[in-house]
Amino acid sequence: MMMRRILVPLLFVLIAMTLTGCWNRRELNDLAIAVAIGIDKDGENQYQVSVQVVDPGEVAANNRTMTRTPVTFYQARGRTIFEAIRKMTTVSPRPIYSAHLRMLVIGEELAKEGIADALEYMSRYYEHRTDFYITIARETTAASTLKILTHLEAIPANQMYSSLLNSQKQWAPTASITLDQLIMDIVRKGKQPVVTGLRLRGDREKGESRENVEKIASPAYLQYSGMAVFNEDKLVGWLNEGESRGYSFIHNDVHDTVGVLNCPEGGRMTIEVIRSKTTTKARFVNGEPEIHIGIRTEGSIGEVLCKIDLTQKSSIYELEHESAEAIRGFVQKTIHQVQEKYKVDIFGFGDVVHRANPSYWKSVENDWDAVFQKMPVKLDVVVNIRQTGTVSNSFMQEMK
Amino acid sequence: MSQIDIATIKEKLGYSNDIIFKEFQIDYGGNSRKVNLFYADGLVNTDSVQDFILETLMVEFPKLNTNQHPFLDLLTAGEIEEVTSTDTMYYNLFSGHVILIWDSNKILSIAMNGIKDRAVSEAMTETVSRGPKESFTESIRTNTALVRRKIKNPDLWLENMRIGKMTQTSVSIMYIKGIVSDKILEEVRNRLSRIDIDGILESGYIEELIQDSAYSPFPTMYNSERPDVIAAELLEGKVAILVDGTPHVLVVPALFISFMHSAEDYYQRADISSLIRILRFVGIFIALLGPSLYIAITTFHQEMLPTQLLIGLAAQREGIPFPAFIEALIMEITFEILREAGVRMPRTMGQAISIVGTLVIGQAAVDAGIVSAAMVIVVSITAISSFVVPAMNMSISIRMIRFALMGLAASFGLYGIILGIFALVLHLCSLRTFGVPYMSPFGPFIAEDTKDTLFRLPHWAMRKRLRLISQNNITRGNNKPPGPKR
Repeated sequence: MMMRRILVPLLFVLIAMTLTGCWNRRELNDLAIAVAIGIDKDGENQYQVSVQVVDPGEVAANNRTMTRTPVTFYQARGRTIFEAIRKMTTVSPRPIYSAHLRMLVIGEELAKEGIADALEYMSRYYEHRTDFYITIARETTAASTLKILTHLEAIPANQMYSSLLNSQKQWAPTASITLDQLIMDIVRKGKQPVVTGLRLRGDREKGESRENVEKIASPAYLQYSGMAVFNEDKLVGWLNEGESRGYSFIHNDVHDTVGVLNCPEGGRMTIEVIRSKTTTKARFVNGEPEIHIGIRTEGSIGEVLCKIDLTQKSSIYELEHESAEAIRGFVQKTIHQVQEKYKVDIFGFGDVVHRANPSYWKSVENDWDAVFQKMPVKLDVVVNIRQTGTVSNSFMQEMK
Repeated sequence: MSQIDIATIKEKLGYSNDIIFKEFQIDYGGNSRKVNLFYADGLVNTDSVQDFILETLMVEFPKLNTNQHPFLDLLTAGEIEEVTSTDTMYYNLFSGHVILIWDSNKILSIAMNGIKDRAVSEAMTETVSRGPKESFTESIRTNTALVRRKIKNPDLWLENMRIGKMTQTSVSIMYIKGIVSDKILEEVRNRLSRIDIDGILESGYIEELIQDSAYSPFPTMYNSERPDVIAAELLEGKVAILVDGTPHVLVVPALFISFMHSAEDYYQRADISSLIRILRFVGIFIALLGPSLYIAITTFHQEMLPTQLLIGLAAQREGIPFPAFIEALIMEITFEILREAGVRMPRTMGQAISIVGTLVIGQAAVDAGIVSAAMVIVVSITAISSFVVPAMNMSISIRMIRFALMGLAASFGLYGIILGIFALVLHLCSLRTFGVPYMSPFGPFIAEDTKDTLFRLPHWAMRKRLRLISQNNITRGNNKPPGPKR
């Protein structure tokens, strides 16, 4: 009895120990923590993979040497991405650990040829989570964007991550996209992917040394700019800032942004959007689909640089109307531009049609882009201005 | 009774010079009688012997002229008995009685205890900020009196037995007749009577000799040095075992959950007590799992940490020569050594050890690059947490199991920890304490009895006693929520 009471649990534990899944014991100081991966094309059938790796000692709160950079950079070439990453151990003292990846940067050149091959490894490898953001290095290589040192955030990848997150929340013409969303957009027929672009500005040489963070204004910096339009996995063009903002409105991605208006009697003013909701519906007129977009936006007056009496209800109504027209203007422009120039459905209208009429969708599914190009889109924009900030009329009213 | 030879007694006692013999004649009733009187010096009050025995016998007796044997009435001592066996005589002698041999054929034993007892003082190990401060002493009589004073009821019964072939230690079973379960009481009597040992010097001997599951790391008998705790346990229908010579009184059956309760929980308001209990359980989890979770997460599951934290921890580990497990082991063992030294060492050395301890365990080890600062934090919080367990014996069990879990964490990560917890829970549920499931009222689950477990309901809401322990009379009282009469 006694023996059984000891042996049975022991047996249970021993058997359970054989059931371990994929695990691996690694000490923290045996890891090269990768925070950003850059993938570029390197000639025919070759990838150039770059990794930004944290040097923990230089990032931690104390015992920084201040002579070494907070991150380092490894690069390797390979016929596949995995091969290149494994080849990095020839230069890196520790294996690349990529569970904490923040950014995946894809070179524009590679994006034009198709990113599907690059994403396959990213989605398969067990270390990768899907919470990192993806961006396209615009007019440069992914490798060069990973070499720029940044202020505030010691780790450049964190800077890229936070900047994208916050610009999407506060500014709108950028969109964060994660691996799972991107792959879904690539395979879905009713929605083509859009990825925010990343530009490298300023003096690249200086940006790669500590000098970049020793000056108050960094000589080189990274800036999100525009959105890359994809046809399946191939980059076909870029949306400019206004079009990107239009895309964000249509895609219901606007959390908070600002827009500049022309005043009725000359001058300008800024309206801050504090809440915005977009609903997209498909209607069928004579068997042909039609998209109805309803934008409901709430805003407040952020800045008044003109003569206007904000204490009057009528002027608020007028401003609401003006802003609605402004939003309608750039949204309409975005739709036309995409329908005529890029000819791919990045707005997800196909999905809306699919939901509204699955049998119709079946018949046009394989030729959706052609239908999209000619599809009429109706806009209904309502703006409500809720606040005027902490003052009503501007002090400038009294100056003259 | 046959002739008693005082020389044999002296020889039996090995002529030990702390046994004082006195021999004298008294003329009384016309006859001359021989009186032999002896006692253990130090155990009896010699003043009383002088005043109440010698004076009576040598001065008062000769004045009498009756033929009867009136000395039993005349001796002005409370507890006088005639003893017929020499075993009892020796036992009484060493319990502080004066033995008087009358005319070489009659043994009288007169209680004259005069040993210097330690006074009832403040509890050392179970301290409270609100509640009685007194604690038990080494004298079993004082201890029973302390409990009696709390429960003034004839149903508070006491059974005495002597255990230990050499030490003849007094052991008392205390319970409340009518509340206690007869089955448990019978079990306690049986187990105590089966003890065969030369000496009992502390209640720990009894505990090891009668507990369930001798190989389990968990204690299945509760002990306390607080009379109020013992009184509360008796009221729940438990059985107390008092052992002469120690202030630690045993209580059975002891449920797992009762080791997590402190006396003060019942004296403070129910809401704050409940919150403090929850805090205590958090502390127990940290004490049990702190280092093992740290090891598992930093060596197996780095992806679970937020990026900033991971980088911070990685920075601290730069240049540390040992794996996290060894690092944790070094710190844990250092702490255990310091703790043990702190308990064992003369009080006056305390300062020195705390300075050395703080320097070694803290700053110096980190500066020297032997351990990381994060590990020092983990070990410190674990060490502090282990002291929130109110019962010392349970906190020791948790500390031991912590090391096993650290080993599992180092070899299998979180998976190992889960396996360890699995085995632990299975083991806990298999334990019994004097016939009562150790994990009750959770396994088996008894909803009514959970009112005083993870949290404590107000006294007016706890209307029933624990069902599995007190099977006889389970109603404590029928209170309604207090307030003005409606």
